[in-house]
Amino acid sequence: MDEFQTGLVELLPRLRRFAKVLRPADADAQDLVQQTVERALASRSGFRPGTRLDSWTFTLMRRIAIDEGRKAQRWGRVLTSDEEGAARAPDPAQAGEALRADGLAVRDALQALPDDQRHAVALVLIEGLSYAEAAQVLGVPSGTLTSRLVRGRQSLIETLAAQGVTG
Amino acid sequence: MSLPDDETLMRWSDGELSPDAAARLEAAARADPVLAARMKAMSHSRQALAEAFPIAFDPRDADLARRIAAAGSGAPKPHALASLRARIGELLAPRHAVPWAAFAAAAFVGGLLLGPLANRDGGLTLRPDRTVAGAGLQGVLDQRLASEGADEQGLSVGLTFQDVDGRWCRTFQSERDGWGGLACHADGTWTVTALAALEVSDDEVRRASSETPAAVLAAVDEAIAGTTADAAAEAKARDAGWR
Repeated sequence: MDEFQTGLVELLPRLRRFAKVLRPADADAQDLVQQTVERALASRSGFRPGTRLDSWTFTLMRRIAIDEGRKAQRWGRVLTSDEEGAARAPDPAQAGEALRADGLAVRDALQALPDDQRHAVALVLIEGLSYAEAAQVLGVPSGTLTSRLVRGRQSLIETLAAQGVTG
Repeated sequence: MSLPDDETLMRWSDGELSPDAAARLEAAARADPVLAARMKAMSHSRQALAEAFPIAFDPRDADLARRIAAAGSGAPKPHALASLRARIGELLAPRHAVPWAAFAAAAFVGGLLLGPLANRDGGLTLRPDRTVAGAGLQGVLDQRLASEGADEQGLSVGLTFQDVDGRWCRTFQSERDGWGGLACHADGTWTVTALAALEVSDDEVRRASSETPAAVLAAVDEAIAGTTADAAAEAKARDAGWR
């Protein structure tokens, strides 16, 4: 494998994590990761070595999610209650009742945010991108990214405080 | 200094303020408990998000990794596998304090080579500070004795000993998924200090399951104070909650 391929392999767990932010149902997230990998392999000539592979790949993923979202709308597909339940179920990988409950509360709080705020929050707080990088992934000016982030962050803090999730 | 708005506090907690501005804000917070509480809440939201979404290994990623490896250059060749394995060993060598990202990546590449590292029930899920987050492994480290062999998920423990700081440490392995490691106990959690792929022979058939990877044994040698616990000492330490 060359550097690009190795980088892409190493990114897979993070791609899946961001995919679940964009598409909470497990099967949808898996589709999104697969399509993103295929798109990345097909368009690797568009990646400039020396730039961040994570930002580049997240950008591909966001575009695919938007395209897929439009298709789904055309077909009138809605999230079924089963899928919603699966997406909200506690992650069995998290040990400890309290931790599991806190983790679930935080994931719920994130899912409750409007899409644009949720994406901004996930890229900066979970994936660790800078504001400038997150703005680039989402294709918005940095001022827009910042205001989405502020509003999302305020809602999260209020929700977590109301649920008694404290640091 | 005028009252800082939420955006300023957010930029501070995300490391997006200039060092001067951050220092001014921190100085102001020392004299203003309300401001300090707002800053704490802002930091907490960042920490809570990061903890709620740990890096997890998904068995389906191994298939995607094979797909990526196969793109353009054909399937990975045996010598390529060997060199990647060597790289994993190097990254996981106990002498090297590897950053978490490299640690996770190396463990993950091991998954590519040797089959899925983990499944969601019995697998390897670590938080960014390397503490064990997976209920399966946590339970095995907390409760299982070496004499009991592998559980239904294929997880087992091997050596149990106290390290130079008096912490209890145990080696563990997943025969099914092909990895083994060393974890030490403190404050109710297990921290993984070494992790390596189980040895494989040339024809990729796994050798006897009892073999602890060399990198893990080296980590044991480095950490151990005295000798390993016998079955009675192991059971006694377990019953005492590894304190």
